[in-house]
Amino acid sequence: MTATLTNPLRVGLRQERVIAPQCLVIFGASGDLTHRKLVPALFELFLQRRLPSEFALLGCARRPWSDEEFRSKMAEALAEKVTANPQAWEQFAAGLFYEPVDLQKPEDVVQLGVRLEAIDRQRATRSNRTFYLSVSPKFYGSGCRALADAGLLRDAERSRVVIEKPFGRDYSSAQALNKVVQSCGKENQIFRIDHYLGKETVQNIMVLRFANTIFEPIWNRNYISSVQITAAETVGVEERAGYYEGSGALRDMVQNHLTQMLAITAMETPGRFDPEAIRSEKAKVLQAARLADEEEPWNCCIRGQYGPGGSQSAPLKGYRQEPGVDPNSTTETYVAMKLFIDNWRWQGVPFYVRTGKRLAKRLSEVVLTFREAPVHLFDAAGGSPTANQLILRIQPDEGAEFRFDVKSPGSGMRSRPVEMEFSYDESFGEPSDEGYVRLLADAMLGDPTLFTRSDEVEAAWRLYTPLMELMEDSPWRLPIHPYESRTWGPAAADAMLGHDGLLWRRP
Amino acid sequence: MSPQLTLQTPLELPPSEVSSYLDRLWTQEPGNNLGAHTFRLLVWQPAWVEQHLIRTGRLHGAILGAQRDEVIDQARNVVIESDLPLSTPPLTNIVAEALSHLSGDHSHEDLRGQHVDAAISALRPRRLITLAPSLEKAQPLDTMVAAYCPLTEEGDDTAACGDVVVMRGGLSVLSQALGILQPLLPDDMPSWVWWNGSVDEAPELLQQLALPNRRLILDSALGNPRHCLDLLKDRIEAGQSVNDLNWLRLRSWRETLAMVFDPPQRRNALSHVVQLDLDVEGDHLVQGLLLSAWIADRLGWQLFSSQNESDGSLTATFNRSDGTPVKLRVAPVPMGQPSIHPGQLVGLRMICRPDALPAACVILCGESGGCMRLEAGGMASMELIEEVVPMPPTTVEEDVARLLEGGHDTTNPLLAAAAPLAAKLLH
Repeated sequence: MTATLTNPLRVGLRQERVIAPQCLVIFGASGDLTHRKLVPALFELFLQRRLPSEFALLGCARRPWSDEEFRSKMAEALAEKVTANPQAWEQFAAGLFYEPVDLQKPEDVVQLGVRLEAIDRQRATRSNRTFYLSVSPKFYGSGCRALADAGLLRDAERSRVVIEKPFGRDYSSAQALNKVVQSCGKENQIFRIDHYLGKETVQNIMVLRFANTIFEPIWNRNYISSVQITAAETVGVEERAGYYEGSGALRDMVQNHLTQMLAITAMETPGRFDPEAIRSEKAKVLQAARLADEEEPWNCCIRGQYGPGGSQSAPLKGYRQEPGVDPNSTTETYVAMKLFIDNWRWQGVPFYVRTGKRLAKRLSEVVLTFREAPVHLFDAAGGSPTANQLILRIQPDEGAEFRFDVKSPGSGMRSRPVEMEFSYDESFGEPSDEGYVRLLADAMLGDPTLFTRSDEVEAAWRLYTPLMELMEDSPWRLPIHPYESRTWGPAAADAMLGHDGLLWRRP
Repeated sequence: MSPQLTLQTPLELPPSEVSSYLDRLWTQEPGNNLGAHTFRLLVWQPAWVEQHLIRTGRLHGAILGAQRDEVIDQARNVVIESDLPLSTPPLTNIVAEALSHLSGDHSHEDLRGQHVDAAISALRPRRLITLAPSLEKAQPLDTMVAAYCPLTEEGDDTAACGDVVVMRGGLSVLSQALGILQPLLPDDMPSWVWWNGSVDEAPELLQQLALPNRRLILDSALGNPRHCLDLLKDRIEAGQSVNDLNWLRLRSWRETLAMVFDPPQRRNALSHVVQLDLDVEGDHLVQGLLLSAWIADRLGWQLFSSQNESDGSLTATFNRSDGTPVKLRVAPVPMGQPSIHPGQLVGLRMICRPDALPAACVILCGESGGCMRLEAGGMASMELIEEVVPMPPTTVEEDVARLLEGGHDTTNPLLAAAAPLAAKLLH
């Protein structure tokens, strides 16, 4: 969202739930995520007075830093904000601590417990602890186990663990990891993060659907002919080649972010606004989802990889030319697929999902296309009548628009489409919080609504298992289609929709 | 959530032994100290109206000191029986005063301090000290102590234990016994003082209890408006963390007014406000003044003059940053069924006259009030924006728990800016 003139009456006015005194423990505190996302998000919460005075952040990593070193490194990383708010930073930084911990060494974790007790006394953090595992995914299971063995997860009401994505590499590894973490604590202590759920506009899908009476009666197969979910990026793989080569677009984006958008778009109405009720509905709809052709998945999935592109003055490298990428890599940077949801609401309605890097435009959106009028009484100005569409713009230009036909001015009765629009900028004019601000606050509040439950994660992996098996066993069945950087992906993806008489929306 | 009684029957101890007894209790098993490391809360709990209602036989059962429906209903009856104005809030000292003239000598059990509201006990306070003054001025001092450890589902050794200290007696003996409090409120964890009564009663006692390093919770709706605002201002200026329940109850008003101006196309109107009218229940103007001061502070207005009018209202003139005057009126409105909190806001009208654009009028009304009075006055030519302010029902204990849960060691900056200006308005 673009920043606009601040509403002076809005400053300092937040009707947020109250975060109880607590100590947030970040494992992997020397890593990128901590200083790029987590500490800035916490400082933002502090500036908004949403953190209690009895708050402490304990950074943990293997490096032998002192509290002071940790504070100065964080200050360096947040230099701009620190300069703008020197006094606030001083107060915030007084609650930053550091403890060298190797989660693989039990004695380190025991020592961590001692340090936490000292912090409890020093900062009156009331034994409320949130452990954030910002470490390599291979340490998620052993990290949880180490915390449990040291007794740090014993109090189910006062201790919780936040686990970053990816949660597993496939269905069986996700299942195995779930077994491990669930043996360490109760399900309500485990917060599997998906930062897409922290986006205001993703949450707004639920409000739009369930707070208004006009949408829910038509939110089904009787009125909706197809759904498109897009998450397009203009950037390439950047510095993440090491990780991305082993994951690809399917694991990096589809299994988590896009599948969460799908679940929120397609879920049934929860009985109440309650974390478990919502997560149960999301899990149910994912359990009912399937690839459009599970027997021959190549008919409903297209993989692509960006090639060189750009202009002569600003050329762009292809994926295989990126540093750290295998020159013969078959990792997909683009995926498009067709899914069905076998339930009463959605039977027969295709859900088209696509994501890719180096596409023409950065955007995420959900597009619901409604069925055409059964009889066309009017000539359409554009030649053929256009179906109504509800477009939920997740980012950028957050908002929603509804396309419908009206009479074209002049003599005669010709119809033409127009748009009715809601924009967050125009209605609220305030930039919304970064996703991590919301998710960190929710984790510390112990509210799991925006975190994925074990059955959701497993259902999401199971949904794509036929594809993964195919990619593993017979990769030639799912060939990599090259596409030029800064275009809308391979032609084969267009052909997949063309086969159904449809087009991808070109925003 | 229903209130909870302490599990253990309190032990009566001589005042001089309380501190050492509790020290022994928490340290008798070295290495196994299970005291919750949370906070300590000292409550001034007079419950005058409840005590009188029980003494005069209008209410049966023990004195609990909690805000409950039976007490409120009976107090409303007393307002009618005693010919007090119908707009008299039921739990104020005016009602207690009326009751004090009624005869009655019913005996009662006094469970103040032992009867912990669930919203507060859920936060596992390490120590809850209650000062419970008795109606009988010459009543000797009773000091009681109870320790408790809530049982957890897992039956583990979660550090959650706390203790309860109750000091009960006449006002003068309580004042004399304050010496035992200092060791009971050491600085190793936050200490809160909740003055759950009028700020006019026992000012010296308040002074002694609410030391600068303790976080103060009070209600500026209880007491003489000038005393309330001066106290807020002085404490804030001295750097103490002050939490005002009356200010907290304004949150829906602040939120609704801010919401009106969220759409950027309406923001310009905020630079062209010419008039602000606020209606409050009864004759206690503090909440109206606090909201006016907040608006003035946020919009950068400078106070030019203010005066008390003969009808009980307060008028003032502010100057906007462009020098244009803004007229303010905070008016008392009689209510047949007043809130239990004196001087609650019932309506707000803000008139804006942007250059070359039609004037706009924002009217906010409380759910129980209605906007008719503020709608009068020739606003047909203006763009009218009306909103009803939601008033979620919360008890005073729930509001206090909310403060304790996410406590701050500094005063909310919005209150810190508004309270001194509100005090200036009244002077």
